[in-house]
Amino acid sequence: MDGVLLAQFIMNGLMLGMMYALVAVGFTLFFGVLDIIVFSHGDTVMVGAFAGLGTYVWLQSVYPDIDTVWVCLWVVLASLLAVCLLGVVLARGLIMRLRSSPPLNTLLATMMLGTVLREAIRLFYPDGSNPQPFPKLLPDTSWVLGGVTVRLDSVLLFVGGLLLIGGIHLLINKTKLGMAVRAVAQDSEAAQLMGVNFSFIVLLTFALGSGVAAFAGLMNGIYYNEINFSMGVLLGAIGFSAAVIGGLGNIYGAIIGGFVFAFLQTIGAVALPFSSAYKDVFAFAVVIVLMAIRPTGFLAERSSQRV
Amino acid sequence: MSLLSCTGLTMRFGGLAALNKLDVHVEEGDVIGLVGPNGSGKTTFFNVLTGIYTPSEGRIVFDGQDITAKTPQEICRAGIARTFQRSRLCLELTVFDNVMMGNSKNLNLGFWHNVIRRKAFFQECRDDEARIRLMLKALNPTLADKIRKPVGELSMIDRRRVEICRALTGRPRLLLLDEPSAGMTQDETRQLMDELVAMEFEGNRPSIILIEHEMSVIKRISTRCIVLNFGRKLCEGSYDEVTSNPVVQQAYLGTEVV
Amino acid sequence: MDRSREIFVCLLSAMALLVFSVVFLLAEDETVIGSYMVGGAVLLWIMVRMGVYEKVITAVSHHERLWASLVFIAALILLFFFRDNHYCLFLVGTIFCYTIAVLGLNVQLGYTGVINFSAASFFGVGGYTAGMLLNQGLVPPFAAFILGGVMAGLVGCVLLLPVLRTSGHYSALVTMAFALLFNVFLEVNESFGGPQGIAVPSFSLFGVDFGSDVEWGSITGSFYLRYDLFILVFLAIVFIMVRRVERSWMGLAMDAVRLDETASACFGINIVRWKVTAFTMGNVLMGMAGALYAMMLAYISPANFTFSDSLLFLSILLLGGMGNCWGVLLATSIMVVLPEKLQFIQEYRYLLYSLLVLLMIVYRPMGLLPRRTRVVTSEDVA
Repeated sequence: MDGVLLAQFIMNGLMLGMMYALVAVGFTLFFGVLDIIVFSHGDTVMVGAFAGLGTYVWLQSVYPDIDTVWVCLWVVLASLLAVCLLGVVLARGLIMRLRSSPPLNTLLATMMLGTVLREAIRLFYPDGSNPQPFPKLLPDTSWVLGGVTVRLDSVLLFVGGLLLIGGIHLLINKTKLGMAVRAVAQDSEAAQLMGVNFSFIVLLTFALGSGVAAFAGLMNGIYYNEINFSMGVLLGAIGFSAAVIGGLGNIYGAIIGGFVFAFLQTIGAVALPFSSAYKDVFAFAVVIVLMAIRPTGFLAERSSQRV
Repeated sequence: MSLLSCTGLTMRFGGLAALNKLDVHVEEGDVIGLVGPNGSGKTTFFNVLTGIYTPSEGRIVFDGQDITAKTPQEICRAGIARTFQRSRLCLELTVFDNVMMGNSKNLNLGFWHNVIRRKAFFQECRDDEARIRLMLKALNPTLADKIRKPVGELSMIDRRRVEICRALTGRPRLLLLDEPSAGMTQDETRQLMDELVAMEFEGNRPSIILIEHEMSVIKRISTRCIVLNFGRKLCEGSYDEVTSNPVVQQAYLGTEVV
Repeated sequence: MDRSREIFVCLLSAMALLVFSVVFLLAEDETVIGSYMVGGAVLLWIMVRMGVYEKVITAVSHHERLWASLVFIAALILLFFFRDNHYCLFLVGTIFCYTIAVLGLNVQLGYTGVINFSAASFFGVGGYTAGMLLNQGLVPPFAAFILGGVMAGLVGCVLLLPVLRTSGHYSALVTMAFALLFNVFLEVNESFGGPQGIAVPSFSLFGVDFGSDVEWGSITGSFYLRYDLFILVFLAIVFIMVRRVERSWMGLAMDAVRLDETASACFGINIVRWKVTAFTMGNVLMGMAGALYAMMLAYISPANFTFSDSLLFLSILLLGGMGNCWGVLLATSIMVVLPEKLQFIQEYRYLLYSLLVLLMIVYRPMGLLPRRTRVVTSEDVA
């Protein structure tokens, strides 16, 4: 394989990896504070993309000659806000109630919640059952560097993702709120005894994780130029796999996991003897094998069992 | 030869040695009281004995058989049964089911026997129910009538009784009781111990190791005491010897300069 | 209640159930169906409030063998009644196939606690195996039906190691990854027909082709009648078997593994053995059900075996009451028939399912028919 193609694939993989990492961060954050896997998170990503699209369509119809930069800004803002709100409402209304249920029930409940979101978009978004073209919100510029095409929108999205991750890092590690989040993640009861407002922290975490997911959804839309109501299933499974590979509850692990999964898909698409359509089959097969080798992920989850 | 002999038993969790070169010998018919402050490694000792943990070092020989790195199932087959500090009964199952669970090593679990030809299975069922009824009755007469009730509906003391029956029903040679008085009042504890002492189940009485904080219980039923602290054996002897030992008093009450 | 009264209650409730189902299946007009359903629900609610419902359930559970025979006879009458109605017979056949598959899931999840989020995939393995084998003309249909189950069991073996080693959400991830993998695989693999799927030849037994309409003397009927009768007999066998497993030492061991692995291990229960047994048994049942379903449907595609379908199977189990075989039968009937009868909710089917299950989990996590405490020594065992 020649270098140009390789570089192209690496860039492609990095984009995918960033997307997955952003989804995985949500899984890992929620697990940290509530010890629950929120399977509907993938569908939250999808809702984010549709919220962005809806805003765009609305803006186009009401203010047809508005400047692209403003459109872009409004779309991002509206999508982030809508999904943050959705995350908070769902957390408050449903997910926090499930804390005392047996694990299987929470698994099923959050999966069903995902189905509800998915079906709601399919049925109630205009023509929602068909794939929707996603607008090109970012400038169409691209450069050719040594034979490799670099798209400006990809670079912008990647940088945006990096900034988001950096922001979360700072929030979690450098602020008082972040400290409270970490305290809840480590021991929610002790944190409550020390005066941390548990519900507030959980809701904050859900707002944060969902906001990041919304960005991932927009990124997905812009990158593929198309979104559909069922994109969340695969994204959710991938994000969850990434979070588990990285070790649940570990934000940096989740980010690494996201890139690992993208790397697996890229390998599946180019380096293996069968057709590139099998890339997901390959990646998921590897995940299953990895789970057989390390049943609790690679940076092991804290666990305690008293006999 | 001893029924059970542990030599140099060590269990490390990371840098912490929960058991440190422990030697314990149990003879046929012994009732050993295992005491020590919280975190001294008593329950860890049980967990190592029953194969939940594999010891870092040392050897366990039970009835002439090396069981050091065996699975819990193999150790159960060899004849060791236990109860748990936090009751581990299956609350949605009946008393009968819970007790039979302790006997599962002796059950015929074949598909043919269980699903196709059920005649022998039903016969077995009736026999076992009669046997367990007797056993429950031997421990406490009122318990036998609750045999088809789910354990979740029973009181704490009844649950403890069921747990003891579950451990006894497989006819073990060594019985490990992990704080049977936990969660009960003193009266209830006394009653349970009365029952345990009085119980003669099918003529075979296993040797017992008993973990207990309630010293009066230890005093009543143990033939020998072992005191643990920080995973080491502090001392061993009769109840009076142990309680008058200054090292033991120090371990419980802290260093005292008199 | 004395014995004869209990038996009378059993008879009466079986007849009521039969009449209810026949009228429900016959009704065409949506307002009629809607008001019928609301009426039924109100009646049920009144019965629950007056304590009659609990009494009926108790009476039935005391005479389970009789009740099972009654239900079987009622099913035969139902089939005879609808003998030339393709549509209703197809619905009933679908209910039977799904019930068998969910019974398999019940052994895995309800009894042993082995999480499986890829039930529809194993259902699909059975269907595709039967379809491919029959299309190649390699084996007779009955062998294809059996091999569908065998194949599902074998495919399950690939997942055994990760499923055994993981628990909780990690197990969920493994099986979920498998469900997605399986679906993508079917879509991209040309030799399995790709997204269009494959045609499946009809079933035949002792030289009788199940694809042609029934003519037994003066009785004529839809070709689905043969399928339904065969599947009903198979369902009865599976039902009895699964129920017997529950009320046996095997069931005890499985329950123990589900409820407390550590305690089970300390009492000599081989955890690996029971998880493997339950997982394989469940998968074989799903595979066999899938093979029958594929032959009845005559045409299968990846869209029949998606992750959403796996979730549907799980929802049925949860709705019926985890671990309760009768609950499985009831919940499958509801989940299959309702959207078909109420065409206006057809489109909203998955939305309503998922909302229903969500509400169930929050407000009635035990399901419609909660599993009754198992009494192994009870004499009246099916």
